[in-house]
Amino acid sequence: MSNSAAGTSSKTRAASSQPSEPSSKRRRGVFHRELQHMMYGFGDDPNPLPESVALMDDIVVEYITELVHKAQDIGSQRGKLSVEDFLYLIRKDAPKLNRCTELLSMNEELKQARKLFEHDDENLRKTFEDDADG
Amino acid sequence: MKQSKDPFEAAFEESPPESPIETEPDPDADTEIPISNSLNSQPIHTNEEEEEDNHVKNTTSINTAITTTKNNNNNNKDDEEDEEEDNMDVELAKFPTAGDPHKMAKMQAILSQFTEEQMSRYESFRRAGFQKANMKRLLASITGSQKISIPITIAVSGIAKVFVGEVVEAARTIMKERKESGPIRPCHLREAHRRLKLEGKIFKRTTSRLFR
Repeated sequence: MSNSAAGTSSKTRAASSQPSEPSSKRRRGVFHRELQHMMYGFGDDPNPLPESVALMDDIVVEYITELVHKAQDIGSQRGKLSVEDFLYLIRKDAPKLNRCTELLSMNEELKQARKLFEHDDENLRKTFEDDADG
Repeated sequence: MKQSKDPFEAAFEESPPESPIETEPDPDADTEIPISNSLNSQPIHTNEEEEEDNHVKNTTSINTAITTTKNNNNNNKDDEEDEEEDNMDVELAKFPTAGDPHKMAKMQAILSQFTEEQMSRYESFRRAGFQKANMKRLLASITGSQKISIPITIAVSGIAKVFVGEVVEAARTIMKERKESGPIRPCHLREAHRRLKLEGKIFKRTTSRLFR
């Protein structure tokens, strides 16, 4: 389950039993820093409680684990995990689906823009070298 | 090139996205502006605000992908905040919102009326995102395979962020019901998680109970 996910999950469980101390133990969880900003952005305090962040971390990791396991069940016939499996899983959930398709289409555009950028770069270099030679 | 522009932003400016997504039909165009006026320093999450949040997430959060790439480059929190100040105006200026000038104008109208606290919260909302490397590592450890393609990482990061938003909003609703204030506590998160489970937004462990 999530135990196999990473050793960090066991560390966060230790955190829930012990009071958090600035000791040498690193039990920040997987997404500690980003989650703090994210929770503030979504309506939490500017400084969310560390217990809340740790719990949210566990919730998110569990959610992602379930998501991936379900996607593997669906996509196992194909033998490989693909994006369409995830899109199928969240088809009922409108905000997630829209957000996902938005991100993916933007990724495509960025990829193409990057290609164009490199292409222009090469053209520039070629013309420069031609000028230098000629 | 403007200051601290990476090629992604420059490229993005040149090609306005033609998003194939159908954006949600505007619930009530008029209610959005009054909402921003009535928002206090402590944003209280009513249903309208949830709608606005969803609306914002769906239609106007195109820049989040760009900002998350920037976020990945900045590991230091202090550096982030300094750079955010400079880049904030740049981002607001080129607000594509799916190439819809109508929505763009509306977003500008709303954003211009934000208080400082609201603006900083909105900034965090846009910029926060999961690190690609962490997500990749987590996904690889879950699936057991080493290769996770980049679109999968992007998709799962987006899904997880929306999920976090749902849980936090539900927790805030619960706090309002219990008439509590201050930072969100784990008990609120647990209750929110339980409610989302009842609604069916969270996957259950078993797929089919028929053949166990």
